Amino acid sequence: MSGLVWGVVWGLAAGVLIAIAALIGVWWERKFSGAIQMRIGPQELGPAGLLQTLADTVKLVLKEDIIPGRADVTVFRIAPLIVFAPIAMSLVVVPYAAGFAPLDTSVGILFFMAVPAVSVIGVMLAGWSSRNTYASIGGVRAAAQMISYELPRTLSVLPFVLLAGSMRPLDIVAAWQWWWVPLLAIGFVVYLISSVAELNRGPFDLPEAESELVAGYFADYSGIRWAIFMMAEYGGLLAAAVFGAALFFGPFSLLPGAAGVVLFVILSAVLATVMMWAKWTFPRMRPDQLMGVAWKVLTPMALVQLVLVGAVVPWL
Amino acid sequence: MSIESVVFAILAGVALAGGIVTVFARDVTRMVIGLAAFLLSIAGFFVYWKASFLGVVQLFVYVGGVLVLFVFAIMLVHRSTEGSPYLETRHDIASITVAGGLFIMVVTALKDFVHDPVAGAMVTGTDEVAAVLLGPMLTHFEMVGVMLLAVLVAVVIIVGGEER
Repeated sequence: MSGLVWGVVWGLAAGVLIAIAALIGVWWERKFSGAIQMRIGPQELGPAGLLQTLADTVKLVLKEDIIPGRADVTVFRIAPLIVFAPIAMSLVVVPYAAGFAPLDTSVGILFFMAVPAVSVIGVMLAGWSSRNTYASIGGVRAAAQMISYELPRTLSVLPFVLLAGSMRPLDIVAAWQWWWVPLLAIGFVVYLISSVAELNRGPFDLPEAESELVAGYFADYSGIRWAIFMMAEYGGLLAAAVFGAALFFGPFSLLPGAAGVVLFVILSAVLATVMMWAKWTFPRMRPDQLMGVAWKVLTPMALVQLVLVGAVVPWL
Repeated sequence: MSIESVVFAILAGVALAGGIVTVFARDVTRMVIGLAAFLLSIAGFFVYWKASFLGVVQLFVYVGGVLVLFVFAIMLVHRSTEGSPYLETRHDIASITVAGGLFIMVVTALKDFVHDPVAGAMVTGTDEVAAVLLGPMLTHFEMVGVMLLAVLVAVVIIVGGEER
């Protein structure tokens, strides 16, 4: 019984966390991209334009929820939620402090990789139910891309299972050693790149591609349902950043107590910023290059990392 | 009625409803949602029986992998604007025979576990699964791996074997 209550509580907490992260993340991304493109970014509302996202949220909530005439109404309505819910779920297995993760499970690593895979179905259904060529192409592209990049992404975190001898994130955080950082450098690069690709963010935003597919699978969405897609994107960014910061950099082992949590938040923000930086710096990839990178570059890199760690483990 | 049995009833209801929708829906998107609900509730059953590893793998392989590839194939073969693809079958009797035979086979295989709760209490934790798979069952495990590799190579030869 208490398990169910806690499940609801942590589910809501994850939703609120993503909402806050999206509010701050959108503002930060607009400021950051503005700096890259030598402009100012939002500046009218609040200090340094901080309230701009809040005002945009009010606008999005009040906007008419347009449903295309030929759309499959039921599927069109629930598709954003199928995209969002798994990403919120994946946040509960992340260790937020030494010895604390909302859902402490022995299959945490696998859970973090497997549950967001469900959101691919939401993306495809969104593209499909719109009955729109742009949206359909976006949906098919998203499915191909997300399936391909799941493989290197999962392989890139497997070295932790070898090193810590456990799939429980808390065990990995507890077993963390400083020399894991140089040892797992290749794995970290693979994790970062494939996470960006898994989120359909630039330079891997072919499913959305505003200049060729308008907005891809969510071209027909507006108002609050469009906002849920955006929240899912920023939620995924948040999840990739906090999970990467907690596992690859071991902030809780470097600094004890509350200082470790502060370091963890800073590291997560830095990782999220690096992922935004990539979006605003690199041009969009071609579809054939995209598949080539996943199968011919990232997957072999992840396998090399696995072999490397496999060679080190017996000497520990 | 304990909370556990309520959860079980919900899972069983979702699984049944998903299965019925998958078979009887006219629109292919509804079928996909039905199948997704069915596969998700199977993952729920694994978690319910404390086999969390199997539950997550079910989610990863079937919902995130097989189902998506399935939808992918339908989307590429049929234009999305058509709405419903051609899903008629002329093999009703053969399908019923195969499905019935499979059902009888599964029931006969699982009969002993239902009657004998001790045999039903299988290994469930991740460590136990790993110890069994990489211990006494290692040969079977490797053989399945080799078989899957052979299947992959065969698919590549069949699909992409043509000379350009």
